[in-house]
This record gives sequence, structure tokens and C-alpha cells, in this order.
Amino acid sequence: MPPMKNDIETGLTYWRSLDELARTPEFQEAVQREFPGDNWDRLPPATRRQFLKVMGASLAMAGLTACRWPKEEIVPFAHRPEGRTPGVPEHFATSMELGGVALGMLVTSFDGRPIKAEGNRLHPDSLGALTAIAQADILQLYDPDRSRRLLLRESGQQYVKTWSDFEAVAVEHFAGDGTGVAVLAGASSSPTQAMVRDQFLEAHPEAGWYEYEPISRDNEREGTRLVFGTPLRVHPKVDTVGVIACFDADPLFDHPSSLRLAREFAAARHPETGTGARLYVTESSYSLTGVRADHRMAVPSSRVPVVLARVAHLLVAEHHLDLPAAAAGYAGAAGQEISEQEIDFAKLLATDLAGHRGSGVILVGPRQEPAVHALAAVLNQVLESTLDYTADPDPDRPSHIEAIGELAAEMASGSVETLLVLGGNPVYDAPADLQFGELLARVPLSIHLSLYDDETSQRCTWHLPRAHGLEAWGDGTAWDGTLTMRQPLIAPLYGGRSVIEVLSLASGLNSISGYELVRENLRKSASSIDFEGFWRRALHDGTVESTAWDTVQTRLDPGRLAVAVDGLRALLVSDPPSADRPEVVLIADSRVWDGRFANNGWLQELPDSLTKVTWDNALLVSPVTARELGIADGEIAVVEAGGTNVEVPTFVLPGQARSSMTLALGYGRTAAGRIGNGVGADAYQLRTTKAPHVVSGATVRGSGRSYSLATTQDHFAIDTAGFKERNRRVGELVREASLDAYKANPEVFHEHEHHPPLISLWKDQEYEGEQWGMAIDLNTCIGCNACVVACQAENNIPVVGREQVLNQREMQWIRIDRYFKTEPGLGSDEIDNAEVVFQPMTCVHCENAPCEQVCPVAATQHTADGLNAMVYNRCVGTRYCSNNCPLKVRRFNFFNYHKELADTSKMQFNPEVTVRARGVMEKCTFCVQRIEAVRIGARNDNRPIADGEIVPACAQTCPTQAITFGNLNDSKSSVSRLREEKRSYATLAELNIRPRAHYLGRLSNRAAGAGPDGHGAPHGEADSHGKETA
Amino acid sequence: MSTPVSYLDNTGDDPAVRARLVVGDNDFHSVTNTVCGIVEQPRPPKFWWVAFAASSSLTLVLFACIGYLVTTGIGVWGLQVPVGWGYAIVNFVFWVGIGHAGTLISAILFLLRQRWRTSINRFAEAMTIFAVVCAGIFPGIHVGRIWFAYWLFPIPNQMSMWPNFRSPLLWDVFAVGTYATVSLLFWYMGMIPDLASIRDRATTKLRFYIYGVLSLGWRSSNRHWHRFEFAYLLLASLATPLVLSVHSVVSFDFAVSIMPGWHTTIFPPYFVAGAIFSGFAMVVTLIIPTRKFFGLEEIITARHLENMAKIMLATGMMVGLAYSTEFFVAWYSGNTYEAFTFLNRAFGPYAWAYWTMVTCNVLVPQIFWFRKLRNKTIILWVASILINVGMWFERFVIVVSSLSRDYLPTSWGYYRPTAIDVLTFVGSFGLFFTLFLLFVRFLPMVGMAEVKGVMPQAHLDRPGHRGHGDYHGDIAGVEVV
Repeated sequence: MPPMKNDIETGLTYWRSLDELARTPEFQEAVQREFPGDNWDRLPPATRRQFLKVMGASLAMAGLTACRWPKEEIVPFAHRPEGRTPGVPEHFATSMELGGVALGMLVTSFDGRPIKAEGNRLHPDSLGALTAIAQADILQLYDPDRSRRLLLRESGQQYVKTWSDFEAVAVEHFAGDGTGVAVLAGASSSPTQAMVRDQFLEAHPEAGWYEYEPISRDNEREGTRLVFGTPLRVHPKVDTVGVIACFDADPLFDHPSSLRLAREFAAARHPETGTGARLYVTESSYSLTGVRADHRMAVPSSRVPVVLARVAHLLVAEHHLDLPAAAAGYAGAAGQEISEQEIDFAKLLATDLAGHRGSGVILVGPRQEPAVHALAAVLNQVLESTLDYTADPDPDRPSHIEAIGELAAEMASGSVETLLVLGGNPVYDAPADLQFGELLARVPLSIHLSLYDDETSQRCTWHLPRAHGLEAWGDGTAWDGTLTMRQPLIAPLYGGRSVIEVLSLASGLNSISGYELVRENLRKSASSIDFEGFWRRALHDGTVESTAWDTVQTRLDPGRLAVAVDGLRALLVSDPPSADRPEVVLIADSRVWDGRFANNGWLQELPDSLTKVTWDNALLVSPVTARELGIADGEIAVVEAGGTNVEVPTFVLPGQARSSMTLALGYGRTAAGRIGNGVGADAYQLRTTKAPHVVSGATVRGSGRSYSLATTQDHFAIDTAGFKERNRRVGELVREASLDAYKANPEVFHEHEHHPPLISLWKDQEYEGEQWGMAIDLNTCIGCNACVVACQAENNIPVVGREQVLNQREMQWIRIDRYFKTEPGLGSDEIDNAEVVFQPMTCVHCENAPCEQVCPVAATQHTADGLNAMVYNRCVGTRYCSNNCPLKVRRFNFFNYHKELADTSKMQFNPEVTVRARGVMEKCTFCVQRIEAVRIGARNDNRPIADGEIVPACAQTCPTQAITFGNLNDSKSSVSRLREEKRSYATLAELNIRPRAHYLGRLSNRAAGAGPDGHGAPHGEADSHGKETA
Repeated sequence: MSTPVSYLDNTGDDPAVRARLVVGDNDFHSVTNTVCGIVEQPRPPKFWWVAFAASSSLTLVLFACIGYLVTTGIGVWGLQVPVGWGYAIVNFVFWVGIGHAGTLISAILFLLRQRWRTSINRFAEAMTIFAVVCAGIFPGIHVGRIWFAYWLFPIPNQMSMWPNFRSPLLWDVFAVGTYATVSLLFWYMGMIPDLASIRDRATTKLRFYIYGVLSLGWRSSNRHWHRFEFAYLLLASLATPLVLSVHSVVSFDFAVSIMPGWHTTIFPPYFVAGAIFSGFAMVVTLIIPTRKFFGLEEIITARHLENMAKIMLATGMMVGLAYSTEFFVAWYSGNTYEAFTFLNRAFGPYAWAYWTMVTCNVLVPQIFWFRKLRNKTIILWVASILINVGMWFERFVIVVSSLSRDYLPTSWGYYRPTAIDVLTFVGSFGLFFTLFLLFVRFLPMVGMAEVKGVMPQAHLDRPGHRGHGDYHGDIAGVEVV
């Protein structure tokens, strides 16, 4: 262990095991010895000063503070800053960039501390919602493990340096024409960064510029290049669509515009006003889109092109689609072996697509080869699909895999003398065959700008602390090109600098602040004469109106189509994978993404939507393949490909394609920080430049050792009695019907309700003013987990660590229950395919609450507006309420989970919400702090609370707006109207608990003549899925 | 095998012969000597020291575990969501159940004029008190914020904040509190004449004063006896409903909830039967070695053991009936949640606990049908231990298996106790045995005055049988030692 690791191991904030917790004092001591005087757990007590700086900064800070250090003065609030009321939070529009796309956010700041990120309604990719990852990013801001100083590593020693030390080095090494200089940057959509890059390349014309991003949509880009001659961005529109065909694509979750697409999809699926949006999904592993599919077929990833080619063939052969001559080869490309199941699926889809010309769309996922994208683009073109194209902002850029390959070649040849790595973590996430870490040793001067002193930093000579997105000025563009601003909400906590600042430093533009750079860039594009006004407006909105790129009219480029057809043919002839030679599909993790969020406790503890696994990645294997290979659920599997072994626990997942296994990237970090180190297995070891997404011809065998995956729900494998009962209950709990059945009989969701008359033992409470209620639409919930993180951020919910999750002590107040629906009569080991349904579950605030009656100290009470409130102060922790809760939504503080929290992490806390003590029960409050804030405002204005004015955190961030909250006493409120709908039902209503949160039944929209549900599974002939018999 | 019948064997059930309840060549004096002698020995016997060392060490383990729990949090136990109650509540119900035998023997059997109770009632009552002490620890320490546990009591306070009178846990506080108080009074009051005997035989000043204070000035006058017996009758009448109520109320903790497997109207009688069952099992477990080591076989006779075996057989069958009734109702009610809970008990992940329970509680007592077996002390002793094990598992099955799989399959779980759970439980036995050993060392473990009343010598002047009844008045005259 290098000596520097020790400081990472101290001052635990979150811990994954009691062992780790117990080790604290030793590590603390080690650090103290090695770096006396540096107490890494303490920040300069600078919140107020930082606050003043940032507040003042909006317009004038840079000019004032750049001249000299601010004086160390205590400033009383005798004259409070303009527009600020103490204790009243402020909201700032900013953005976060992930994979080269900026996502607009609105960040709540309390007394100068950003505490919560929400979506920016004005941003086209957000529309007010935010993904789980983007919301959790704020925790990273306060991460005590973030790098706090510059480090120089030389001949086995390391030295703490300052920025001026580095500036001197920069002047020396970034001089001249840039020969021997290379810059490796992450993907960026920032126009300012592009400007600074151009300045840099202008100053150093011989310097090499490479962009690498492990997770990208390059294949789509290359696919459009094949068809249209130039790379284009694809912008699907699904709000008025009749048919969506996804080939390994997950538009509802894994797309830069997923929030918008999910919103549009939800609109399209509305039973009365929607256009149907029948969803066909062909994929190897369950995606969130796949969960919502009406027709889903699990095939190995390498078989997906075969299915698409067959659809193309059928469209031409049976539906007389007029493909351009050069593309007709596609239709001919479909002559290879294909199973009956695949043919049936393709037929159904082809028929539906042909019938929805102009209102259908075919989407191909980023892991499919460019040729597959090309075919989809041709079909979309001919079918007049509902998608737009815009020009790629940087059409000449090589793909990321090519770029890093070129850089590696340069480094191998020894021609790179100075390497500047701006962000990213190539030692960890570059394709394994490049041996990037080894190559780095050949570079005399390597500089890594990074949030953490991570794997790459430890191999570089220089490590520079990077400013977090919420600490730095910047900008970016949305997926559609809309200019998106980024403003800091707090001065850099650890003295970090942003990419543009470091780059401008390397360009020889000494100490130009990010603020100036962003303004300079914007000044160029601002048409307005009044720049200050324009600037203010841009910062206020977070986006600049009408800056989206123009859509381009596309024409197929027949000259290129032949290449695409050849590419596809090559894909189609490959042998299908088998259990002996399975394919391993490497995917971006839904939580830690490419690994950069590995040290984020919220994300590590966020249960994966499908597996519900926390704190680990797992090899997803279909039940049949697991049986064939003799691997048990939870057994550690050894995956061997290209001479590399990776050991990873198995998770048997029904709905996974046979002979195809899925493994998430982003785990197995060694220098992520105390939270992320050693969590999961490193799948990057299997990733090569040739096969970055699908590793074919792997071998997988069991190791005989088992491992406990910390799931927040039961595994699929379960004893027979439990398995049968679970299957029996699903239909009742998550009610589902086909759209046709619902239209024919709106009472279909209530047909099977049987219970005795529900009489209360107590006198009912009466409500005069408001009484709150919630409606959760299972038809639009996609299980994306955004609400879970929103709730965690809003309500100061602790992260408890893997050991605690293993013992079912996770604390999240809202959870997404995932159920498999299987054909009756099959045992858990016989299931190959299963439908998945989600049900967000949180405290439903029963009117006749079982918890309230049993609490001996009356610590849980009904409020005057109908909430089931927890009085933390009164709670003695008998846990009787939790035992008596039929939904098990109460959470107990088994330990003091905040005991070891670093001071920085405490800054994230929402001051409006009590931090709960040890021994106290807690649960969803319907965000009572938000209710009260609105109520106070309304009372001050002497007006009633408007409908929709109160939005709990979960509802606020829901991309599909599946959660509606409001006043049940107001018959015109949205929630009242939703509860009047025929789809509305209460779970466990027969217990007479009278929940305040109701569910709206799920609707499927299967194609006529497709037969009953079954996703075309091999057992598809069994037709009693229990859907209509909810 | 025809071994000659020992003079100690008074188990015959010839209806023409009233079996002697004290065997051997005993008179009032020898009974007093035997019982008081144990207390008056200058040093306790070696086996006492061995037992005391072991049990007091375990008591230390208990307090160490509690200390760790209080300083660290409830998380040191294996509890979770959904299983919010585990060992602590299981142990609580287990110990409260054990605490049933004493008061049942001294109160209900008194009212039913079961004279054989006299040899064992003191002993059983002491056991009751100690079991209730052990039981009382668990609800206290199982709350998350132990320092606020007093909020469960209706103490007037500046916030005008009362406990929630709808909560069965609060009823528990009252039920167990009342039971403990009455049991303690009953036990102590019954002991007064015997304490006076020890006082009167005291050879040291210290002993004289201590027992003198404890015997509250008892002079064995007729008036004293009259008052004593009247008070005894009143307390017995008062304690009798409590025997039935305390475990009924404890069962409300479960029955009043809405959890399948808990929400059952059969629980009060079922719990009371189980409590008597386990209480007698514990009495037998303790009394067999005690009578052996302290030479009390002539006073606590084979017939006493046999009677208790018969009671265990009866209550064991009641418990068995309750088990089957639960299954019947689960099926007959048509409540699918209930049906699954019972299916899950028998065939789910906790099936091992369920079948342990059934084996120990239903099958094991069946051997008591056979006179030979029930009169074999060692078999009876092993069986009584197995019944204790079974009754502990009964509470485990009810508490844990019901909670582990309730309504939503997504929150099903599996509870595993931690080492602290187990050590706390074992430690509570340490406390129980420590108290018990102190009792046998310092207090008369047989109610001498009452035993004398059922000896033939008490009725020398009254030939002929007056029927069952109250012989207490007769004793006064012959009490002189």
C-alpha cells in the first residue's frame, strides 16, 4: 500500500463494515504521524465567508477578488446581503456534465451550502426531473475523501505542492509548439472548454488532443456517419408515437435525454390521451425500458442485429417497404439461422411498424455496432419515424476508443513527454489491452486533474485537485444543443480548479479564472447588446433560450450504405453464444456509472432497479444458463476472457437472455476512497479496444465459493412455499390490465376485491382544511430510482453500509418494490423468463394506521391534516409500529448512523429536517417540511394553498411525474381527480388501513393477435399470467 | 424387573388409600429440622458454590451484554425490518410464561384445595418471582432509547403527555407490574410463619435480627393465624385472575396487531395454557436436582413430581390443540395471508424452529401417559428440559416467523440472532439461577407450616376424614417445635 493511501482511510464518514469502522483510530494515528498539522477532517471554518463570496460573486466577485486575498475579517450580518433572508433557502440554476452532455439542475442552497439538486424545468433534458446519479453528485461535493492538495510523485516519494509550484512547472513544460505534449480530456460539451482547447492548440500546434469517455454513444454516431456521410445526433420523440422498437436500447434510462423521453413516454401511455406507444424490446438483459415493454424478447446482445435484420427483411418482403436500392442488401442479409421465437417477434414488430408509418420509431442501443445503428437509421428514414437529427458538434472527432488507442500508441512510441489528463480515470477505465497504467510510466511528466487522488493520479507525476461541478464556473450543451450554464454554489472546498482553468493555464494564459473564461465565451455568442442583462438572465435560467441546434434534413447516402450492409453481414454470421462460450455484456452501472461515482454512499447503497443489489456488481445470468453451468445464485463465478480472469458473484435473473451474461462496469476500484475501494469486481479488465461492449467467447465457471450480495429485497431464488405465495400476491399488489380490457371494463382493477365491510373501531377524524393524499401511477413508473435519491437527499437519510443492508437495515424511506411475474405452476428453478413490475412503496399514511394504535408512548400520531407523523422526540424505539406496519415502510436507527460523519458531509444536511438519533423510528413524512414551508407562505399571503404548490421530493424529481401529491379535501385537485379514476386502488385495502397513497393500475398495450402475455418466452404457450385477474 | 417399591414411592393410586404427602418417618420436628437446616448450615454445600459461581458469572455476562447494548445501540442484536422483535421479546414471553407456575400452584391450587401443592408452592413462587425479574429486564432493554423507557409509565409530567392507552405494550406494563407485585406479596406473606421459625431457631444475633425483621413480629398466636389465613385466601383470590390475565395481556401484544400469525383470538387461552405448561416444566427442572441435593425427597415426593407430570401432559395437549386450531382457522377463515403464514411456519425457512417446537411441546409430553416413564425422575427431568426448549421455540416461532414474512413479499426477511442476542439470553438464565441459589440458601424453600398441615400428625385428634379443606387452623396448636 503506498503511504498516501492512509489518509484516505481515516475519518470515516460512511463505512461498509464494522471492521472498517473499528480500524479508525489506527489509521487516524498513521495520518497524524505522516502529515502533522494537517487535520483532514476539518475544513476551514469558512461557510459564511464562502457564502458571502459566492453570493457577491454572481456579478462582481471575480474582478474584486482576483486582485488580492480577501482580508480575514469577521463580517457581522448587520447589513444583510441584498435579497437574502436568513434561513430561507435560495435556488440556483446550474448544470452537471456527464459523458459530454450537460444536464440542467436547480440547486437549493441554505446559508451558502448547496444541499439538494433538482431538475431545471427550463432545461430540455431535465424538464424539472433529475436522474439518481445527478442528484447524488452533491454528496460528492462534500466527500471528505476528495483530494485536498496538489501532489508530486517522484522516485517513490510524494510531496505536497501548491498551485504556484504547478504554475511554474506548467510554464516550463507547456512552452513552445507543443511537441511531445498530449492532452487527454473527457468528453465535454462545454463551448468554453472548446474555446480554451482551441486557444491551447493554437498556442501549442503540435500538441495532441485526445478525448476519452468509457461510456459513450459513439456507435450511434458512427452508424449515422455510415448512412448519412456525417455523424449526427439522434433525437427520438416518443410523446406521440404508436410503436417504439428498442434493440438493446434503453431510452427511458440510459440516454442523455432519458428524462425527457421518459416524460414523453408517460404521456404516450396515458390511457385516455396517449397514443399507445406500444413498446417492443429486444435485449440481452433487463433494462428499465425492457421492464415497461409490451413485447420483450431476451436474446443475447450479439443476436440483436439478427432480429433487426429480420424485421427489415419482413418489412421489405411482406410489407413492401421501399428501401433504397443500396440498402436492399439489408433485407437480403437476413438469411441466416433464426429461431422460431425470434421470427414470431420480428413478424409482430414488422407488422406493427408497417402499420405505424410516421408514428413509430426504431432505437438501437449504444452497445450495438455502428452497422446496426445504420440499419435502424435507414429503416427510420424510410418509415418516417418520429425522430430528429442534428449535426454532431464535433464531427471530426475520432471515436473515444480510437482516440485512447491513438494516445496509447503515441505513449508506447515514447513520443509523449508531457501528458495532461483532464479528469477521467484512464488507468482504471481505459481498455485493458492498452495497458494504460504501464504506458503512463513511460511519460516523463504526467499531470492528472481529478476530484480524487485516484488510480490514475497515483500513476501520474502530478495530481491536481479538481473543483467539483458545484464549485466551478462552466457551461455545456444539452443533448439538443441548448446552451446550459454552470455557476458555482460554493467556493472550492479543497482548493480545486476546473478543467478550463487548468487548460488555460497550460495554454499560457496564466491565472484566468473560470468566471472570466465563461463570460468571454458567452460574450462571443451573445447577440444581445446588453451583455450583463443577457448574462444575468442566462445564469438565472440556467439555459439560454433558442440555442438548440437546428435539426438537419437527412438523406440517405447510397454510396455509403454498401459499407454498412457489409458491416452488418459480418455481424450476422458470427456464431450465437452458448453456455460454454457465453457472451459477457459490459454495461454502464445504473449507479456508479463508469466508476466515477464509486465513492458516493447514496449511489452505492441505491438498490439496482432489477437485482436490488447494493454495494456490489454481480454477473447476471439466466436461470437456465446458471443451471447448465452449474453455478448457484450467489456463487462467485470466474469469468475468463482474453486471458483475464475476473471473479464476481452471480445473480440469477429471470429475463436474462440465455448464454448471455451482463456485468456492470465501475466497480472494483482500488483508489476511489473509503466508500468505493474494493466494492465489487472490476469489469474493465475484460474490456478491450476490439470488444468494448460485448465480450464473446468467454468462459464462465463457478468457484464453489459463495458470497452474500446485499440486496434490499429477497432473491428470486427462494423456498417453494414462499415462491408460490409471492407469485400469488403480485397480481393483487401490483394490479395490471391490458389497455383493451380496461377500456372495455374500467372496473377491471377492482373486480377481485373481496373483503368484509370495513368498520373502524375508533371515531374517524374529521378534516376541515387540508388533508393530504398521494397517487402513484404504476403505469408510468419506470423504476428509475430518482425518487429514492431525492428522498435521501431531502430527508437526511443516512447511508448504513453493506453489512447493515445485508441485515435488512437500509434506511431509504421510499423503495421501489420489484416483483417478478411468472407463469403459475413453475418452481423458482424452472423459470427462464419473468415479467417484472415495479411499485414505489413508501409510507402511505394510513388513515386508520396500525402503527399509531400500538405505539405505547404515542410517538406516532395523526396530524390535523391527515399525516401520519413520527414524533422523533417522543419515540423510545419499541419498534412495535414497524412490526405492525403491513407495508414495512418504517425504518429504525439501529445505531447512531451519523456518529462518524465528517464535518464536510454534515454540510449537506437539510436544516429543515431533523437528523434522527439512535434508537428512533423514522419514515416518510410526505416531506412535511415542504408542506409547512408552503403553508407558511400561503398564510402570510392570506390565500389558500394552490393545487400543485406542495411537491414532495420524490414527486418533484420523478421523470414521468408518476407521483402526484395534493389536498384530498379539494375535489378539484389533481390528486383527488386521480383517485377518482377507475384505475385507482389501495394496496391491502382489505386490512381497513385506508391508505392516503393510492396506486393507479398498470396498463399493458399488447398488439392484437399477439396472444397473451409471456414476452415470447420459450414457455410462452402458457397463457394464464394473471394479468387480467388482478 | 421387579424392584422392591421404595418407601419414597407414594405414587400409587389406590382410591382406598389416601397417599401420604410427606413420606418417611417424619414428624413436625423433623420437617422443621430438614427445611431450616438447609438455611442454618454455616456453609453452603460444595455443589451450591459451584452452581453459584457458574450462574453469577453468567449474570455478569448478562450485564456486560446490556452495557454493550446500551452504549452501542439495538443494532448489536440481529433485529431488522421486518423482524423488529427477536430474542428480547421471545425471552420476555418465555420468562413471563415460566413465572406462571408459582402463582398457579399457590393460588389456584389453593382455591381448588389441592393439598399436595404445599410442598412445592414456596419453591414455585420463588421461581415465579425470579422469572418475572428476568422477564422484566427484556422489555426494558429492548427499546431503542433505554434512557426514556420510563415514558411507558403513566407518570404525570409537565407536557401533560400520557402514554397511549390503546397500545397493548402499555397494558403489558400494567399486567406484568401487577402480577409481579401480587406474586411478590403473596410469596412473602406466605413465608412469614416460616421466617419466624428460623428466627426462633436462630443461634446468632445477626440471624435473629434479620429473620426477626423479615418475620414482621410473628408470634404464632391464634389471632395471627386467623388473620394470616384470611389474608392468604384473599391474596389467592386476587392472584387467581392475574394468573390468567397476565399472559392473556402479553398475548394481546400479538393478538391486537394486524400481522398474520399474530392476529388471532385464540391467543389468550393458548398463551395461558402454554405458560402453565412451561411453568410446571421449569418447576420440575429445578426441583428434581434440588430435592436430591438437599435431601428433600421425603417432603417433595415422587407423587408431587407425578402430579406435575400429569399437569404438563394436560397443558401440553392444550397447547397441541391450539397449534392445530391455528392451522384449522388459517384454512377455514379463507384469509390467504393467514394461511400462508402457517404454511410458512411449517414449511418455510423457519420450519426447523416449528418442528422443534412441535416435537418438544406435543410429542415429548406424550410419554407422561405411561406411569413408568413419568415416575422415572431422570426421564421426567429430561422431558421437562425439552419442554422448556419447546416453549422457548414456541415464542420464537410466533414472534419471528410471523414477522419475517408478512404482507409484502418484497420486505420479507430472515432474522438471525447475533452472539449478543444469545449471550443475553444465556445471561438471563444466569440471573435466574443466581437468584434461585440465593433463595435456597437463605430462605425456607418449603412452606413448613403448610406442609405440616397436610401431615397425618396434624389430625391425630380427628379420626375420620373431614373432606378436603382448610386445615390451617389445626396447625396452630401444634406449631410448637
